[in-house]
Amino acid sequence: MRNSSGNSFMQRSALLTLIMGAALLSAAARVSAAGDADAGKKLFPQCAACHAVGEGARHLYGPMLNGVTERPAASAEGYSYSDAMKRSVEEGLVWDDATLDAYLESPMSYISGTKMAFAGIPDEGQRQDMVAFLKRIATDGTGVVEEISQAEQADSSPVAEEEPRPLARDTVVPEHGVLHLGRAALPEEVAAWDIDIRPDGQGLPAGSGSVEAGVDIYDTQCAMCHGVFGEGEGRWPVLAGGFDSLTDERPEKTVGSYWPYLSTVFDYVRRAMPFGNARSLSDDEVYSLTAYLLYLNDLVDEEFTLSAGNFDAIAMPNVDHFIDDDRMEEPQYAAIEEPCMQDCLPGSAVVTQRARILDVTPDGGGDDDAAGGSID
Amino acid sequence: MASSNDKTIESGARRQALKNGLRVGALMGAAGGAGLTVSGRAAAEASPDPLITEVQDWNRFMGDGVDANPYGKPSVHESDAVRRTVSWLTAENKSSINFTPLHKLDGIITPNGLCFERHHGGVATIAPSDHRLMINGLVDTPLVFTMEDLQRFPRENHVYFLECAANSGMEWRGAQLNGCQFTHGMVHNVMYTGVKLKHLLAEAGVSPRGKWLLPEGADPSHMTRSIPMEKAMDDCMVVFKMNGEALRPEQGYPLRLVVPGWEGNMWVKWLRRLEVGDKPWHHREETSKYTDLLADGTARRFTWTMDVKSIITNPSPQAPILHGRGRTVVTGLAWSGHGTVSRVDVSIDGGRNWKTARLDGPSLSKSLHRFYHEFDWDGSELFLQSRAIDEKRQVQPSKEALRKARGTNSIYHNNGIQTWHIRPDGSAENVEVS
Ligand code: HEC
Ligand code: HEC
Repeated sequence: MRNSSGNSFMQRSALLTLIMGAALLSAAARVSAAGDADAGKKLFPQCAACHAVGEGARHLYGPMLNGVTERPAASAEGYSYSDAMKRSVEEGLVWDDATLDAYLESPMSYISGTKMAFAGIPDEGQRQDMVAFLKRIATDGTGVVEEISQAEQADSSPVAEEEPRPLARDTVVPEHGVLHLGRAALPEEVAAWDIDIRPDGQGLPAGSGSVEAGVDIYDTQCAMCHGVFGEGEGRWPVLAGGFDSLTDERPEKTVGSYWPYLSTVFDYVRRAMPFGNARSLSDDEVYSLTAYLLYLNDLVDEEFTLSAGNFDAIAMPNVDHFIDDDRMEEPQYAAIEEPCMQDCLPGSAVVTQRARILDVTPDGGGDDDAAGGSID
Repeated sequence: MASSNDKTIESGARRQALKNGLRVGALMGAAGGAGLTVSGRAAAEASPDPLITEVQDWNRFMGDGVDANPYGKPSVHESDAVRRTVSWLTAENKSSINFTPLHKLDGIITPNGLCFERHHGGVATIAPSDHRLMINGLVDTPLVFTMEDLQRFPRENHVYFLECAANSGMEWRGAQLNGCQFTHGMVHNVMYTGVKLKHLLAEAGVSPRGKWLLPEGADPSHMTRSIPMEKAMDDCMVVFKMNGEALRPEQGYPLRLVVPGWEGNMWVKWLRRLEVGDKPWHHREETSKYTDLLADGTARRFTWTMDVKSIITNPSPQAPILHGRGRTVVTGLAWSGHGTVSRVDVSIDGGRNWKTARLDGPSLSKSLHRFYHEFDWDGSELFLQSRAIDEKRQVQPSKEALRKARGTNSIYHNNGIQTWHIRPDGSAENVEVS
């Protein structure tokens, strides 16, 4: 979506093509001439959280910026740009002094939809310094530090000069706490990580999802492991069925037969599934999948739509069958007594069981599927 | 003069003969696996031991110099002392488990490379400079710490065992796996260096309504568990070192939670967040998993403490007795999530009679303890058992008692007494006896 403000890229480039090329060039020259690359370097820490520069620089959240003015826009190899950025390139975006200046002034209004979630540099002089600095960094990463002429190099130390470290006495000690360590977390940071949900619904995001929408997502992203009906392929976990099996010799503990709370399904799918691609589902997709898992367990019908609004209306069948830890009341622990030391059992020991299926021990080469135990 | 010379020669020859005997015995053992035993007397008649009479390669030729292994490795002769897995337990190895080779170890410390692993989304690779620990929820100031920040808190060193709640879980329905590595190898014991959790929480300022803590991992499983605030404020730690060196990646590098005496799943690895709340979260690993299903279909939840337990590590199915009758050392490990182990008893007759074993090495709270029981084996079959008693006077129960109280579907918290059947040839098998 194109931003309607006057300086969006499209409008600007259309305007620029109407102007004489010479005028454009001189405008660019003017911007660059004013910039001081060393001053720009000092401003770079505000970019460094997302961008690396210098030899061996890698992509961080943003692409590495070596030679960014020498390469076509949005062309760093191995970096996945936003669709908005790619579209701008198709529409003719080229990084030069003017376009960089505009982007850095307000990235999100210049290219609406860009992933560069950065407020921008309001000061024109600082932007010019930054552009001059970016232009100095070559594709191989040299130029972060200004090349020292050979004469200068001869009488300076062979080690490249580093930024002087700030004096310890000038560093800021935060107010909070006892030892004043760490820094305050920003609300955006807490929001990015705090995804947990409780049975009372605390943490549920806005949104909704239907059984119908869940079918497709489940079939394409979950069924290959958990089975089309939640029956589990091979040894992958079973997600549905197993009702009234909890007292059986082989109980089947599933979302439907065992899990006490629906919030756990939403929370777990959102934090850990699909296995191998965690955190890739949107909130609506997680609502849909949660609804669909209810459906696979015969707990709702196919018309059902789940949202934060009706979340607490769903009672899970096994909710009342959990008790708190009372192991210490079991006979073997409750009676604290000295254990027997002599003639504790009659007769001599009789073997009642041998390592049941010797062959399940690894390296034994036996029948794996005959194994009777489980770890989770 | 002459007589004293004679004596020297005589005693030298005796020593030689003795060594030959041992050597042959060892060879027999190695070759025959469990099949033994050779009489020491008969071997004494044999020819001199070439390992003594001949100059060996390692006596003559120099080996590696310094720096052959900038990070040292075990001897090539210890290639058997490795973690092992049981492939049929899980669908694939990114969410799986392997086991510590307890029968290869002695003392109480587990070497870092042998500590068992359990992952739910593979081993996360995190540069310490990229790692952050956040504290949020019911606190005065939500905070973010870098690894450097954490180094500035007061550090402590403690040795603690970590046992998976499912250790011995495959044995609920009866003897199944042949080797203490597989029946009991989901435990390790390490000296941790780190910071008490209470110092970190004080920095953020916990609200009086904050009764529960939710640690969360940075790996793709984003592991979470609910921990009551009293435990968090008591002995829990956030650690960055194990046995003196940086945490191993598979143990949560660069940062893990330590919850002494409580089940291993709570010791969140790759720890990135601690949230303070007023209620527990009932997340997947404390509902679907790590709840103990009882015979009547109800399930216990929040069964955090690892109860008193012990295991004889040698002899055991992977470590048979190779030396024949005579002096025999039985050794093993004991631990309790309730504190120190005060005593271990050993039975060689399947629980009829017990003798108190010798505890050796440091006795630390919520740490493994090492015990030994030395005796003269007459060569007849043995039913070896060990029984630990902790500082709260809790006695390790029999498997029968546990099954009577819980049934066989609990999976977790099986701390029953283990029996090894030692056959007259010295081989050992996992059995149950009445
Ligand atoms: C919050 C993270 C973040 C910050 C801070 C940030 N950027 Fe970016 N930057 C990005 C991302 C992400 C992209 C890729 C944009 C896209 O794909 O939409 C980007 C793209 C760019 C590009 C285009 C790269 C190319 O290959 O075409 C330049 C130039 C740039 N940023 C410069 C800067 C400068 C200079 C600063 C500091 C003043 C800065 N950025 C601060 C995240 C950031
Ligand atoms: C590549 C195989 C795979 C795919 C695809 C997959 N899962 Fe899973 N799922 C697993 C594994 C493995 C576990 C257990 C992980 C563990 O215990 O660490 C699991 C566990 C679960 C559980 C908890 C089961 C229990 O009994 O505790 C739920 C619920 C679940 N997955 C839902 C989903 C949903 C919904 C999708 C699709 C978005 C999905 N999974 C995709 C492999 C997969």
